[in-house]
Amino acid sequence: MSTEKYILRARILKVLLHIFLLFLVALILFPVCWLVLNSLKTNQEMFLDSMAMPKKWMFENYITAWNKGLVSYFVNSIIVGALSIGIILALSSMLAYGLTRFHLPGSGFIFILVLGGMALSEQVALVPLYKILQAAKLYNTRAALVLPYVAFRIPFTMFLMRSYFISIPRELEEAAIVDGCKSWQRFTKIILPISKPVLASCAIVNLNHVWNEFLFANVFLENKKLMTIPLGLMTFQGDLKSDYVVMLAGILICSLPMVILFLCMSRQFVRGLTSGAVKG
Amino acid sequence: MKKKTNLTPYLYIIPGLVMVLGLVYIPVIVNLVYSFFHLSSYSSSMKFVAFDNYRRLFTSDTFPIMIRNNVYYCIISLIVQVGFGTLLALFLESRLASERFKTICRNIYFIPSLISLTAVGLMFNFIYNPQLGMLNTLLKNIGLAGMQQTWLGDKNLAIFCIIAMSQWQFTGYITLLMVVAFQNVPHDYVEAAIIDGAGPVRRALSIILPLAKEQLLVCTIITVIGAFKLFTEVYSTTVGGPGNSSQVLGLFLYQNAFLHDDMGMAAATGVLIFVITVTASIFQLKVSRSGEV
Amino acid sequence: MKKNLKRTLSIGLAAIIALSLAACGGSSPDAPAGGGSGNEAKAEAGGKDVKVIKLFHRFPDDPCNAFIEKKIAEYEASHPDIKFEVTSAQNQPYKEKIKVVVGSDECPDIFFSFCGEFSERFIREGLLMDLTPYLEADPDWKASLMETQMNEYTTADGMVYGIPFRLDAKEFFYNADMFNELGLEAPETWDDFIKVLDAIQASGIVPIAEGNQDKWPGAHYLGALNEQCVPDDVRAKDYDPKTGEFTDPGYVQAFEYYQQLVPYMNMGVNGMTHDMARLGFTNGQNAILFAELVEITNIKQENPDMNWGMFKFPTIPGAKGNPDLVSGAPEGFAVSSKTAYPDECVEFLKWFLGAETGAQQAVEVGWFNASLGVDEGLTDPSLISAYDVIANAKKMDIWFDNALYSTVCDEYLTQISDITNGDVTPADAMAKIQKVAAEAQNLAQ
Repeated sequence: MSTEKYILRARILKVLLHIFLLFLVALILFPVCWLVLNSLKTNQEMFLDSMAMPKKWMFENYITAWNKGLVSYFVNSIIVGALSIGIILALSSMLAYGLTRFHLPGSGFIFILVLGGMALSEQVALVPLYKILQAAKLYNTRAALVLPYVAFRIPFTMFLMRSYFISIPRELEEAAIVDGCKSWQRFTKIILPISKPVLASCAIVNLNHVWNEFLFANVFLENKKLMTIPLGLMTFQGDLKSDYVVMLAGILICSLPMVILFLCMSRQFVRGLTSGAVKG
Repeated sequence: MKKKTNLTPYLYIIPGLVMVLGLVYIPVIVNLVYSFFHLSSYSSSMKFVAFDNYRRLFTSDTFPIMIRNNVYYCIISLIVQVGFGTLLALFLESRLASERFKTICRNIYFIPSLISLTAVGLMFNFIYNPQLGMLNTLLKNIGLAGMQQTWLGDKNLAIFCIIAMSQWQFTGYITLLMVVAFQNVPHDYVEAAIIDGAGPVRRALSIILPLAKEQLLVCTIITVIGAFKLFTEVYSTTVGGPGNSSQVLGLFLYQNAFLHDDMGMAAATGVLIFVITVTASIFQLKVSRSGEV
Repeated sequence: MKKNLKRTLSIGLAAIIALSLAACGGSSPDAPAGGGSGNEAKAEAGGKDVKVIKLFHRFPDDPCNAFIEKKIAEYEASHPDIKFEVTSAQNQPYKEKIKVVVGSDECPDIFFSFCGEFSERFIREGLLMDLTPYLEADPDWKASLMETQMNEYTTADGMVYGIPFRLDAKEFFYNADMFNELGLEAPETWDDFIKVLDAIQASGIVPIAEGNQDKWPGAHYLGALNEQCVPDDVRAKDYDPKTGEFTDPGYVQAFEYYQQLVPYMNMGVNGMTHDMARLGFTNGQNAILFAELVEITNIKQENPDMNWGMFKFPTIPGAKGNPDLVSGAPEGFAVSSKTAYPDECVEFLKWFLGAETGAQQAVEVGWFNASLGVDEGLTDPSLISAYDVIANAKKMDIWFDNALYSTVCDEYLTQISDITNGDVTPADAMAKIQKVAAEAQNLAQ
């Protein structure tokens, strides 16, 4: 009797949970679907009834959006993203390695110092950074984005990597030390290969940040040829004339790459963050 | 020979440290200095004004509005993103749904956080639009035309509309981070609890959550800091309007620096953001008594 | 071994940093983007020095952007020693960006600048070039430009700092079919205007299309109302940041007149942008739109078949201001005082903003510059009547939001937005503006 009741209760709970989770899925996806629908209409149609089906499916909105300069925004975002991620990963992993493997005097302090950078927000540094970049003749170059991105992303990345590195058993390295491997070799031949999951996770987290960053890009860039996607999207919003449906198409085009990348790599991403793979 | 050995490790540390010190710490300190001056981006003159920037900041009519808005954002984000997000993560880690279903849900919840803030801002501009927006059209179609609102154009609603948008975007992010933390909880602990006859609620409260405490702390700190550096969300939707009703510290800083050319005032606002975020972080660390993180 | 390691490490590091710097520096606009084309140009010009002129404008939308690009390409073809580097931004970002670059070494040689306080704050820092000597040296050029418009680009001391690219004014546009159907005529006085609005509303149509999310559209109403309610000399004193007080009762009055209009506007004024509200007008949901002449191009694009007319902002009998002013301003280009090629810049502007280019611009873009006779080739009756509005104006009164010091402007826009929502009374609104104006007096010193 009681087990039957228990099973029944569990079943009801199960159904309710499924309904709830599906409701949330709808909440997330409904606005997106509405956008997709309207991105396939004309401005007039959208204005008159944004819920109606388009009379004619305007796929050319996407072509118009793409031709409005999205290509170059994409290229810029990719360049800035790749440079930033490369440098962030290189410097953060070295930093995390240096802090976890040598028992240095002061390494605790350095750790707190670097981690403290996480609490400092971009806005606080905005005005001086802008003046520094201008004085260094870097204003309105890609370096004006890459350097601050790197600096502001090192703390969090170092933090993620450090906890992963700590979980790597020492024995792995000890064998190498016996073989006469020096620290750089141990770092590149043992630690980095074994850390692929966390490197991948860090890459995605940072790429997402860099890909979407707006404040620095908006202040440190002026040249349209260097603009990244978030900035480029804002230029779709005209003052006296906005082409809404094309803007919607542009938003969707720009959002797709990260979403696809994530869906393809979500398993590795989660695994890297859980670091369960090496947890012995 | 020994001294030389000791130098090597620093070579790993120095490049990263230099970047962080040079491009994060030094600007923050310089910002503190700037906050005591009148300065402009296009004239080189700097005039020392002591606390005048702060006086103007604290006495401006916008000041209480900004603080209120940032605090609203912070509290609601803590409740929805961290609170509800964690609950959602527990659901997603419970044994009531199939692995596949849970993974799909989790991934869908995460998607909004992959879309750039400006894109989401522009999107919600449409969703909230009084004339053609999704919300008002939806209300009309289900016969609730009386509940139609101006949303972003309403003084009392604007900031909440922006906050709601952020919850839509970031709850799934926190959920995923928490799922990851829960997966890190060793299985034997949970199994042991089940053998002891602990129900799902007790398991969550006494085993899973305590073991994921550090992640929860990180999420809380990220959320609080994020709340006080809020900028893009407002810039891409209301730009502080209508009136000043959705003004926030980050946007105020930006407008002073680059619209009113009042870099000193911007720097003073920056110092305020700095003080708030750092205090909040230290406070949370103290409360959690977790010296490790 | 130790040494080796350190060497590899430092080489590796140096490589990373050098690589990143090279990649960043290499992709900077000075190097390949502008410089590359500059080199080609050098070869074409047969080794002569190429002068690179940077131009920054705020018209990134077509057809205007395409027109500018086409004209610059033409100019480059006929002047092989000159190369242009053109950048552009939308209105709001432009206002932020230009303030950032204007004082730096990155300052463009020629850039868009609103007339009035927007430019005068640059002039106070000596950042704009005085064009007066060039105009004096070329009397034909000076005579070919419309005087009412050039006045707006002249300081009180007589310094000319810009040449107009497009002329603009604000008028009420109305749906002529709706007016005919209801037997209404374009109003001339305020009372007539209210009667017209009542009649339209009674017929079940929301009379005025208005979107104030970006805050400047409301400012244009207030600018026009202030012109009528506040005497010219008082406004001139108040719009100057060093003496601005805004204590004249006319300002409160202007707010009260604006309040009268709000009930006739569409729902959600503050939640919509101006161009979205315009769709309400061009789609026949609203009868009246307060819009700029430069928007005629957009109106025709959105609804080519629409039958519409224009009327001037209604006069308020008995008000103390000046009813003859036309609200609007020329928008044009200024030259940086730091430019290495002042003569070349002026030479270019003479052509680019001259009668010949202007006539083509009028036909292709639907915008006029300040050169006399640019309307001669026009066949479109709506553009001709638009041109007449400006040509017949005795005196222009520049956009309200460009006339004010930025913090005062910000406060004014905030108050207009609040008045529109009914959140503040006119008297309270003015009190807040007065407070900011007093603060601005210190800042502008």
